[in-house]
Amino acid sequence: MQSLGIDVLFKGINFQRLLGGLWVAVRLSLISVSISIVLGTGMGMLMTSKNRLLQFFFRLWLETVRIMPQMVLLFVVYFGTTRVFGWNLEAEAAAIIVFSFWGTAEMGDLVRGALISIPVIQYESARALGMDEKTLYLYVILPQTIRRMLPLSINLITRMIKTTSLVMMIGIVEVLKVAQQIIEANRKSSPNAAFGVFGTVFLLYFLICWPVSRLAARLEKRWAGD
Amino acid sequence: MSGIRKNRIAKSAAALIGAAALLTGTIPALADENAVYRTVEEIQESGSVRIGVFSDKSPFGYVDEYGEYQGYDVYFARRIGEDLGVEIEYVSTEAANRIEYLQTGKVDIILANFTVTEERAEEVDFALPYMNVALGVVSPEDAVIESLDEIGEDQQVIVISGTTAETYLEKNNPEIRLQKYDAYAEAKTALENGNADAWANDNTEVIAFAIENEGFVVGIPSLGSADTIAPAVTKGNESLLNWLNEEIKALGEEAFFHQDYEETLLSTYGADYEDTLVVEGGVIAGEEEAETEA
Amino acid sequence: MDPEVMKSYLPLYRDALFLTMRIGWQGVLLALVLGLVCAAVLQLKLPFIRRIVAVYVELFRNTPLLVQLFFLYFALPRIGIRISAEVCGWVGLGLIGGAYMTETFRSGLDSIARIQTESAASLGMTRFQIFRYVVLPQAVASSIPGILANIIFLLKETSVFSTISLMDLMFTAKDLIGMYAKTLECLTLLVIFYLIMLLPVSVAGSIIERRLRYAEFGN
Repeated sequence: MQSLGIDVLFKGINFQRLLGGLWVAVRLSLISVSISIVLGTGMGMLMTSKNRLLQFFFRLWLETVRIMPQMVLLFVVYFGTTRVFGWNLEAEAAAIIVFSFWGTAEMGDLVRGALISIPVIQYESARALGMDEKTLYLYVILPQTIRRMLPLSINLITRMIKTTSLVMMIGIVEVLKVAQQIIEANRKSSPNAAFGVFGTVFLLYFLICWPVSRLAARLEKRWAGD
Repeated sequence: MSGIRKNRIAKSAAALIGAAALLTGTIPALADENAVYRTVEEIQESGSVRIGVFSDKSPFGYVDEYGEYQGYDVYFARRIGEDLGVEIEYVSTEAANRIEYLQTGKVDIILANFTVTEERAEEVDFALPYMNVALGVVSPEDAVIESLDEIGEDQQVIVISGTTAETYLEKNNPEIRLQKYDAYAEAKTALENGNADAWANDNTEVIAFAIENEGFVVGIPSLGSADTIAPAVTKGNESLLNWLNEEIKALGEEAFFHQDYEETLLSTYGADYEDTLVVEGGVIAGEEEAETEA
Repeated sequence: MDPEVMKSYLPLYRDALFLTMRIGWQGVLLALVLGLVCAAVLQLKLPFIRRIVAVYVELFRNTPLLVQLFFLYFALPRIGIRISAEVCGWVGLGLIGGAYMTETFRSGLDSIARIQTESAASLGMTRFQIFRYVVLPQAVASSIPGILANIIFLLKETSVFSTISLMDLMFTAKDLIGMYAKTLECLTLLVIFYLIMLLPVSVAGSIIERRLRYAEFGN
């Protein structure tokens, strides 16, 4: 294995460090996804409003997120805010803000899409059956909305995990940076570490994201029939 | 009918946004109140000092297989922590981020092989120096580059973004095609992989690279002016700057940086470079009095 | 913010924009071709190749482009495969894009009603003819919104090229900040140039999408 540079992973606690780095990435995305789901649900509801100003505001938000690369947003928030407002954000806080800003917009759009896709007749029939508003939302609208949204929101998690690889650029030591550190510390004893270590990082990302996206695909297929 | 529905949605949305506002309230709490820099007292009060070091620049600043920061800069950082009586919070930095980190107060001190230059001194405050440095160029031994004139139009030289080598070549040899990387680990791997014909950097670094990697030689051992490497603090942080200067002077008396060299650099450079590299007590050999650039 | 400084940086950003656009669109093109070919392979259920394609799609959809580029650019040369940064850039983008496009085309293909292929078959068309003349044109049309979203995603992803020494927009900004510490100017220009690059694509995308919706309605 020496020639492929996989041996360095078994030196000291190198492999644990790599996993630790991966956990940083996963943790950041889980926090951001949680915030995005809460805020995004609110945003999605507000997006169905007929208020022009509100619609314009959300449109602008969504377009910004769609057009600006996450890396640019990270730099703007991490370095720009200190310059303009004098805030001193921790790198992780900056990352969570950017990912939540992005995730909220995406979730909001999903929620909006799910809400408007529920036919008015559902509301009307429920009311005709004498349900009050609370029951109507809890038992009729919400379950359907969640069904439509869930697979797509799970996809958002994998997209976030993948995007967290960028936080290396603002100084967070995540899995890729740990990989570089390992390669650097073993340049002499294991010249091919770049192959083994980057290859391992590639596989680790796959092992995290693949099951999650399979789950999303399965849910989508199962519920598509409704 | 749909009017009621919309109203209902808007109401629940307002409630949710309220909840979310509470939730996000935790984010600003993560941000430091203090905008620019921290004085020595503030650092000591907080119990930890944030020091920006390289994490992929062996043997000056790197992380070993147990996840511990090591190297010449780190050895000094550890002593600073001890003498300040606080914990050290290492912040992994890239060359191009060093000024930015200080100016935005993300670190208290940069100890990342930071060469003192006039341009940089306009942006940050340098303390007394602790190492000598010049530029150097390393290339594969089967195609050694011994002078910048030898570099052909179709050849490329690796530099790291934000280093003095980059600024020097951009200014003095704009005709040379540069291949720029963010991180030391990337630049070195690219050189080993044969993506470029040479790598220009601090001569300390290229010498170490040539010693540690067979098949590479330092064709140009010294380029540009002889410079020094010093700790840097945020511009205007007199308190920390003075403390560091006193510290460096005091450490000179116990020949601390020679000890540092022997612990961290000796195995790479051998004893030959000890006196050329080490600056003790902030006094550059040949100068009567140590004077930092303001 | 100093407008003079920004002005002096403009040529650098312009060059970076051209480089980013060139590599970005080359990648998009490769992604479209790869996506079409792979979707066709999956649809026609070609034995063996189908499995390779499935593995490729899963591998590249579930890993970050940054990690893929690191692997292509820094790791492969260790086993003797050396690719230039620029080729790595657009091939990497094309590979990840190809995986996304395959999925998009496939869901387009899935949306074609079974009755159409059955009718075509009863007319005596071969499997290839059915695919080429009946399924493909409709599938492409119904995948257009997805394709557009993928294109914008891919052009955005070019921002990670900076890590493999390509002087793209992101790198130019980072590099200038590192050298001259004019952070605000650099970041503002960065945002403006990404807008120049992506806003037209996004606007064109929504126009095309709206047209398609009308077409659908007309059916």
